[in-house]
Amino acid sequence: MRKNSIFARVYLSFILVILYIPIFYLIYFSFSSGKNMNKFGQFTLSHYQDLFQDNRLLAIFLETILLALLSSLIATIVGTFGALAITMVKKKAQKNTLLALNNVLMVSPDVIIGASFLIFFTALGFGLNFGSVLLSHIAFSIPIVVLMVLPRLNEMDFSLIDAARDLGASGYQVFSNVMIPTMLPGIAAGMFMALTYSLDDFAVTFFVTGNGFSTLSVEIYSRARQGIDLEINALSTVMFLFVLVLVIIYYFLTKRRVKKGKRMIGGLIK
Amino acid sequence: MRLVAIFIFLGITMKIIELKHVNKRYDDGFVALKDINLEIESGKFYSLLGPSGSGKSTILRIIAGFTNPTDGKIYFDGKDITNLDPAKRQINTVFQNYALFPHLNVFENVAFGLKIKKVPMDKIKAAVRDALHMVRLDGYANREISELSGGQQQRVAIARAIVNEPKVLLLDESLSALDKRLRKEMQFELRAIQKKLGITFIFVTHDQEEALSMSDEIFVLNDGKIQQNGSPVDIYDEPINDFVARFIGDSNILPGRMIKDYEVEFANKKFQCADAGMRPNEKVEVVLRPEDLDITSPEKGKLVVTAQTQLFLGDHFEIKAIDADENEWLIQSINGCKLNERIGLYFDPEDIHVMRLHESQEDFDARLESYEGDDENE
Repeated sequence: MRKNSIFARVYLSFILVILYIPIFYLIYFSFSSGKNMNKFGQFTLSHYQDLFQDNRLLAIFLETILLALLSSLIATIVGTFGALAITMVKKKAQKNTLLALNNVLMVSPDVIIGASFLIFFTALGFGLNFGSVLLSHIAFSIPIVVLMVLPRLNEMDFSLIDAARDLGASGYQVFSNVMIPTMLPGIAAGMFMALTYSLDDFAVTFFVTGNGFSTLSVEIYSRARQGIDLEINALSTVMFLFVLVLVIIYYFLTKRRVKKGKRMIGGLIK
Repeated sequence: MRLVAIFIFLGITMKIIELKHVNKRYDDGFVALKDINLEIESGKFYSLLGPSGSGKSTILRIIAGFTNPTDGKIYFDGKDITNLDPAKRQINTVFQNYALFPHLNVFENVAFGLKIKKVPMDKIKAAVRDALHMVRLDGYANREISELSGGQQQRVAIARAIVNEPKVLLLDESLSALDKRLRKEMQFELRAIQKKLGITFIFVTHDQEEALSMSDEIFVLNDGKIQQNGSPVDIYDEPINDFVARFIGDSNILPGRMIKDYEVEFANKKFQCADAGMRPNEKVEVVLRPEDLDITSPEKGKLVVTAQTQLFLGDHFEIKAIDADENEWLIQSINGCKLNERIGLYFDPEDIHVMRLHESQEDFDARLESYEGDDENE
């Protein structure tokens, strides 16, 4: 037993190290003077200075975050109602078809989704800009939100709805005071997933960005093609930290979700 | 409110709920209710008793408004509420699994209905305190639901319902999730709460003991139909048919024949009985409750049987025996007997309950009433 757990720990550490080494290697060299990652020069923050003076990059950074927030918000709303609709479907075959259609979008390669969006937008004469990227990000985020919210609804005790109606709640009050708080953990998880999907998406975005608009991942890719610049290391480090902060926030949100849901409902009723 | 109290004091009760010709067929074709007619009076404790699938919960859901009947009408205080939203009915429900809101604490659960009605906060606080006091959960207001035991959750569910001051409280199999000891305790408590509030309770259960011990009146349901209604004593002593006889308590049911008034034949012997008003030689079924059978010597017994198995159940013996015609007899007696020996069974004429086949409740009631008339003449 004891031996086993030591093996498990070593194995786990090994996997984690393998997973994180490339990222830390990249972060390490973001503090290196010099032009490439062959040899660590002297410790310097100059790449970060360059980064924060690069107005184009900063603008893209902010736009990427705006895009992620906006697309995840809209996808969460649409996806939540989608999950509700799937739950309401009574016929098993219909329900399974809807679920399958949802899951196909989840597993189909980003390249195909991106290409199809590109064809779709050009066919409609829709310009490739922030709007086209936003629409496609919303589209690929919806299925993940549906998948996150659905289990909460399946677990939900539907007599809670009867109980609320019994106590005088209107249809809207049942929705806001019972359904939403029940789904909230799923909604939060779905929104968080949608946020990270949007932040790190490259393939789909690459197809539907036009001249005027770019996201960080596309920008990093196009810069890396011109030769590795340590400014990109600095940028990656900033992004990594940003995501880390998001994860920590998410962790605390889910830990305190009961309390949060409670406060929310009190506010809604009053 | 005072008027109601006076009525109750005078023994006058008012009809509060009435179901007229209610039918329910579900989308999948299952017929849950067949022409249900029932009247509920204010201030009484009712039970809807039946096996699962008998339609008892459907009746409750129709009264609460969660389900609409396929046909028929429901009246509340004389007004047609058949299509009224459950939110607008002066009826509250205690659900089978309690259906407490898991994201709210005890106070917020109980206050839910009052908050929806926009009652001022200070009044809500007082009302919730009173309701929690009524169910003996003082000081639990700030607990989370997940911290409570099953019995405590049950009490919160009751408090959440009664805090709205409903005229009728519906309880759907509310005690079935509790262990036996707690269930007994809650039976007493429910009855006490009902007495204190003076409102109507309609309690759905499949447990005949529960129904018998708590109710003023019981509706026995089977197969979507009301089989019999009446006081617990009436239903136990005079079951209308073999379903009721079997479902309520243990019974020995035998085919028989009325020879003439006050004489019935079964197990190939003629017996004096207390029933009359049937055709001569009419085929009937006879019910003898196991606790009405006394063990005596074969000479003194009205019927001779052979004991086959015997169980000691603490306060009595339960004996299975067989008579000369191979009819099985269940006997509950404070005295045991020797196995595989002939024993006599003794019972009084009143212990024989004669049931006519396919008798309607009206005919049944009329027949019973005619006996009571006889008693007075004697």
